[in-house]
Amino acid sequence: MVALPAGRGRRPRRPSAREAGTALLFVLPFLLLFIVFRFGPAIAGAVLGFTDYTIGGEAGFVGLDNFRRLVEDSTFWSALRVTVIFTALSVPLSMIASLAMAVLTRRMFRGVKLFRSIFFLPVVTSLVLAGVVFTWVFSEGGPWSQAMGALGLPAGSWLADSVLVIPALVLVSVWSRFGYGMLILLARMQDIPAELEEAALTDGASAWQRFRYVTLPQMRPALFFVAIIETTVSFQAFDTIYVMTGGGPVRSSYTLVYMLYDQGFKYFDLGYASAVGVALFVLTIIVALIQRLTLGREK
Amino acid sequence: MRVQKSLSAIAVALVAALAAGGCGGSDSGGSDKKSVTMWIYPVIADEAKHRAYWDETITAFKAKHPDTEVKVEIFPWANRDQALATAIAGNKGPDVVYLIPDQLPKYARNIEPVDAYLDDAAKSDYHENVIKSVSIDGKMMGAPVLTSSQPLTCNKKVFEAVGQQTYPSSWNDLLAMAPAFKAKGFDITSYPGDIKNTLNLTFYPLLWQAGGDVFSADGKSVAFDGDAGRKALGLVKQLVDGGYTEKSLITTQPPVEQTRLAQNKVGCVWHSPTSELEKFWGKENIKVLPPLTETKSVAYGTVGSLSMLKGAQDKKAAGEWIAFVSGAEQAKKYDLSSNFFSAKKSAGALYTSDPVLGEMEKFVSTTTPGPLHEKARDVQGVLAPEIQAALLGKKSVDQALSDAAKAANQLLG
Repeated sequence: MVALPAGRGRRPRRPSAREAGTALLFVLPFLLLFIVFRFGPAIAGAVLGFTDYTIGGEAGFVGLDNFRRLVEDSTFWSALRVTVIFTALSVPLSMIASLAMAVLTRRMFRGVKLFRSIFFLPVVTSLVLAGVVFTWVFSEGGPWSQAMGALGLPAGSWLADSVLVIPALVLVSVWSRFGYGMLILLARMQDIPAELEEAALTDGASAWQRFRYVTLPQMRPALFFVAIIETTVSFQAFDTIYVMTGGGPVRSSYTLVYMLYDQGFKYFDLGYASAVGVALFVLTIIVALIQRLTLGREK
Repeated sequence: MRVQKSLSAIAVALVAALAAGGCGGSDSGGSDKKSVTMWIYPVIADEAKHRAYWDETITAFKAKHPDTEVKVEIFPWANRDQALATAIAGNKGPDVVYLIPDQLPKYARNIEPVDAYLDDAAKSDYHENVIKSVSIDGKMMGAPVLTSSQPLTCNKKVFEAVGQQTYPSSWNDLLAMAPAFKAKGFDITSYPGDIKNTLNLTFYPLLWQAGGDVFSADGKSVAFDGDAGRKALGLVKQLVDGGYTEKSLITTQPPVEQTRLAQNKVGCVWHSPTSELEKFWGKENIKVLPPLTETKSVAYGTVGSLSMLKGAQDKKAAGEWIAFVSGAEQAKKYDLSSNFFSAKKSAGALYTSDPVLGEMEKFVSTTTPGPLHEKARDVQGVLAPEIQAALLGKKSVDQALSDAAKAANQLLG
């Protein structure tokens, strides 16, 4: 007989009006800050996309002109392609790395907390600092090119190669992000009732079968969350790319956020930069919905 | 009861935070004193020396203008445009700011022309090319305080090692000497093609030397895709394809100490400041030469100027400060402290006894700071990757320039 975890199967009690009001009061400060500093600027940014605003100038309404220009701009399509490829490579790799590390650090053994801390360290490391170090790692004659040479592979700088530059940036992205995903997945894994695995073990399931048919289905909500976060972060990749490649060579690593930065802060064309931001937002929402329909459909 | 106490504490904290926010935004007000705030950057690399210069200058200014308080803030070069642009947008910009010609068109609508604040003698004392480099629609957008020049600089030690007795004066000389340098393990030159580099220093000097320009005379279209542009890009491609330059620099920008330039393996350059070359080559090994010639000899040189922003709180006080700092005597002190050159004719030669700066100073009156066009930076943004594409062999010279021109002309409308 396997006991159900406490509370399972019991219908939650509806909070009283007084309790709901108290809860709302606690949420209110954050809600206000969110509206003022996140939601408000986001709406203002979207509105700017319909103007020709530049620094210090008047903002004139230009309708859909910025979006028409976007559609005709080959740089936008190139940046969109780079962004999608970067995300398509980095999100699955980051999730696989996060899941693998979560599985490895799930068991309690001597020093496991130290390992978890070490794996989480890249998340709190400055991306600019990491970018400087990895620029050297991937440089011609750097450790990475020497390792490639030793394996009989092309030993040039990956950052100077228009095909290999994205894989190089993806590796840096995975390195800097997997610790966060690992933490989320680990928390979820530790919440899975041990009885489920014990039952599977009693039924003769192998380690892989227990992971595949017991652990992984239980992880679905956490995986969905990590996928959404990783996708959003990948779409917004900028710091390391700015430091390591400057968007090159020949725009091979020029992402939408890089384009937004250039248009806004280099050319001061804030209306057009905002239009790029709106396009990026729409893209993120579309991908999040697709992920919701696949990974998150049950919860 | 406990909940009520907690809520009261939160409410008090919120009110305190709002009150603190309100206090933070208030002006001191009430004083009759005039004030000027200026933003400048590390023109003098030694921060303590730079700070001391401005402290002394403020003291000297206050002796003549006791009612004006001046605050000089020194910001890093990096990301200065972002800081300035966002400050202007938030009405938190300075009254006076140091700008170079490359920046002027983008800030033009925020700049108060300085013509009315400088007397005729001060204006007529500037070199003609200096006045031209800070003027938009006939108005001076800044009062120049310094100039620089970037002619050809060669490494004597490298030339000795190669056994080359003469120095290049033309593109043909450069190409003719290149194989001998390569044979001895040296590069005749280096070309920084990473798109973070400004084309004002790298590609445009070659374009100008071939008789071309970035924009057409009326500024309504680009002109870099003509014969001169093809010649200029063709020269760089020849140097790259022949193995006469460090190929990795086309796509990456490593720290200078990791480059062949710093390792005394490069013959001549037209894009690196001598202050940097001195560290690696030694001052005694720097040979300063006239800019290379294809159809004419021309080099890049910048002009540092002080611009007044339209949002300046007290324009009269800001104008008096600008006139004082850009005056011939005061600016001369700044130039000598920073190893830059004077923008004024009356200052004469500042470095007659210096074999490097003295030679470079001779080219100040013939340099150009690059195009003063509102879309100059945007155009660099589309041209630089196409130059890379040509140098990497992904496009022909013609195709790269044609594609860049098409994209650039779209930007110009």
